[in-house]
Amino acid sequence: MSAKPDVIQKCLWPACLVGLFITGILSQNCALLNVHLSTVTWQNLKLLSNRSKPFPIECLQEKKAFELPQEILSHTQPVKRDIKKVFYEISSQVFNVFSQHTYKSAWEEKYLMEIQMGLNQQMEYLEQCLEEEEKESEDMKQMEEKIWSGAREPLLSNLELRRYFNRIGNFLKDKKYSQCAWEIVLVEIRRCVFYYFQKFTPLLRRK
Amino acid sequence: MLAFLGTTALVLVAGAPWALLAAAGGEDLESPQNVEVSIIDDVFLLKWNSSESVGNVTFSADYQTPGMHNWIELPGCQYITGTTCDFSSVKLSVFEKIQLRIRAEKGNRTSPWHEVGSFIPFRKAQIGPPKVHLKAEDKAIIVNISPPGTKDSLMWAMDILSFTYSVVIWKNSSSVDERTETVYPGGKIYKLSPETTYCLKVKARLRLHRKVGSYSPVYCVNTTVENKLPSPENIEVDVKDQSYVLKWDYTYENMTFQAQWLRAYFKKILGNHSDKWQQIPGCENVRATQCVFPQKVFSKGAYFLRVQASDGNKTSFWSEEKRLDTEMQTVILPPVISMKSVDNSLHIYIGAPRETENKSTSQHYPLIYEIIFWENTSNAERKILQKKTDFIVPNLQPLTVYCVKARAVIEDEKWNKSSVFSDILCEKTKPGNTSITWIIAGVCTALFSIPVAIYVVKGLLRCINYVFFPSCKPPPNIDQCFSEQSLKNLLLSASEEQTERCFIIENSYSLVTVEETSQVDEDHKQYSSQTSRDSGNYSNEDENSGSKTSRELLQQGLV
Repeated sequence: MSAKPDVIQKCLWPACLVGLFITGILSQNCALLNVHLSTVTWQNLKLLSNRSKPFPIECLQEKKAFELPQEILSHTQPVKRDIKKVFYEISSQVFNVFSQHTYKSAWEEKYLMEIQMGLNQQMEYLEQCLEEEEKESEDMKQMEEKIWSGAREPLLSNLELRRYFNRIGNFLKDKKYSQCAWEIVLVEIRRCVFYYFQKFTPLLRRK
Repeated sequence: MLAFLGTTALVLVAGAPWALLAAAGGEDLESPQNVEVSIIDDVFLLKWNSSESVGNVTFSADYQTPGMHNWIELPGCQYITGTTCDFSSVKLSVFEKIQLRIRAEKGNRTSPWHEVGSFIPFRKAQIGPPKVHLKAEDKAIIVNISPPGTKDSLMWAMDILSFTYSVVIWKNSSSVDERTETVYPGGKIYKLSPETTYCLKVKARLRLHRKVGSYSPVYCVNTTVENKLPSPENIEVDVKDQSYVLKWDYTYENMTFQAQWLRAYFKKILGNHSDKWQQIPGCENVRATQCVFPQKVFSKGAYFLRVQASDGNKTSFWSEEKRLDTEMQTVILPPVISMKSVDNSLHIYIGAPRETENKSTSQHYPLIYEIIFWENTSNAERKILQKKTDFIVPNLQPLTVYCVKARAVIEDEKWNKSSVFSDILCEKTKPGNTSITWIIAGVCTALFSIPVAIYVVKGLLRCINYVFFPSCKPPPNIDQCFSEQSLKNLLLSASEEQTERCFIIENSYSLVTVEETSQVDEDHKQYSSQTSRDSGNYSNEDENSGSKTSRELLQQGLV
């Protein structure tokens, strides 16, 4: 009985977040891709949270704090474009992590393929979006370059994000890609992805 | 106490020559100038200039990272006689800050340290040239690319899948017509001529980090002799009745074809994917230049499709790969239009397309409506592009039949996708607002105003008549009074008599009514007493039963 509301909560929560998140960010440019992007992102989140297997208890010992970076955007009011970039970075890093996975069962193989396919699409749509925008706003690009040439921290201080994914990668390597390591990483990735959706939502709503 | 002071003084005196010596050494040896760090892929180099004569002068460097309290000797950069050293062997975390310092040494003497400001290796790193391996077909070249950096590159470990590669290709004979293309590793460059030497160079790029790599060396390859069987061309995918229709063109008749698919993301992942292509069910040994397979074959995502021709003995090369994005393959349904003529304009309403069994997703797209509009008798068409779903076409000819058809177009220049046209709808415009309408309006108002005017005049006349020519006569009895008695008598005596009469009448009437009401009351009493008796019986029973039940309830409660 108590599991049902839990499941509902699990499903509704990301649904709401993604809905707000995606429509918020991608309001202006590459309108068409946004439609696809939002559906794809939604599917991916569903896939990530739909893992039927419960977390194996024997892996609890190996659990590690990956220190999810709290501040990855250097501005309190980030440009929507920056959020897209962060989003792109997350997508490609998650894709990267998953592509190292070697599956053991057919079910796992299918699950992994679906996630990778979704992530790949998400990345490609974002790539196209960012490229289109780049062409559109040459002025902005010049401005950005000025900031870059000034050797200041870039708008998107996502090296934090890289360090975080680097920690995940190193953890997997250290544990020799064991089953437990994968289970832990999977939980972590789910947490990370949801965290950022939750974080960006209010930022985007403010505008 | 004194002894302690003495010893410190001694130490100071003893230390002085050392300090002097060091200072002298500093004068003697100059620290390196223009120190630079260059990082290409996983190769970390430290470069500097020095005015010191080369003989016997060596250079050594230290490094420090934020977690460390002391400087540590930089491996690979100790007692270097040249002006460059390679410290790639230090497995640094590429995302952490690092500080370096370097000095010149000669025997016991050393120069002051020259410090290099802290930097993050990843930020400083440049993308080196990728390694390229080419394989030629008759009209295509397969470009196998290994990403920049070493095989277990630390620098690009997280970016290996994010690199995009652009290829510049030209015919060896003329470097004029250069072509730039973006390829996946292992991707093909198509539309080349057979038996021609092509040269190309490749560079890698990291979009998000604004890093553009350097070009690889130029590689050249000869395309092969033209294959007897050309590969199928112009591959297209359409959606029809929940199936995909894969079509292609081919020059010869009586051939068999086969088609294969590959998940698009495999192309991003490095390695050889040639074994991952799979047959499309229903597209094996097809004789026609098309094949149909259900949409269900592919789950949501992006795929590549390719076709090959065969005449039994020989096979062609694979065709160009066609990308299929199931998300993008939505069919846009035509809109539903309705029209209403208002004056000399037409009001057009565009409704959402009728939904089919599988819910159309087209409603989520930003749509533009293209409306074709023409006079029924002529062929001159007018094209209107509208975002709004209802709008007015003004200034039309009155009493003319106009026809309209519309289609939905996705608002994206790149995509250029549209629905089929809706059914043609025709509507006759209302008579225009020229003289005719004015006449009709005039006639209408005239028709309406005449009876009103007549009525008003009639009423006026009546009033005038009433005031000036009262036609009414006094009642006959008053008339009699006028005739028989004088005016004074009539006013006094007649009034007295009348009041008396009235009083009598009133009394008698009131008496009668009082009697009647009392009678009614009695009747009512009788009736009510009867009913009360009846209800009394019932109510008694009710009370009993009610008490019983309440007692029962109580008992139950106690039990």
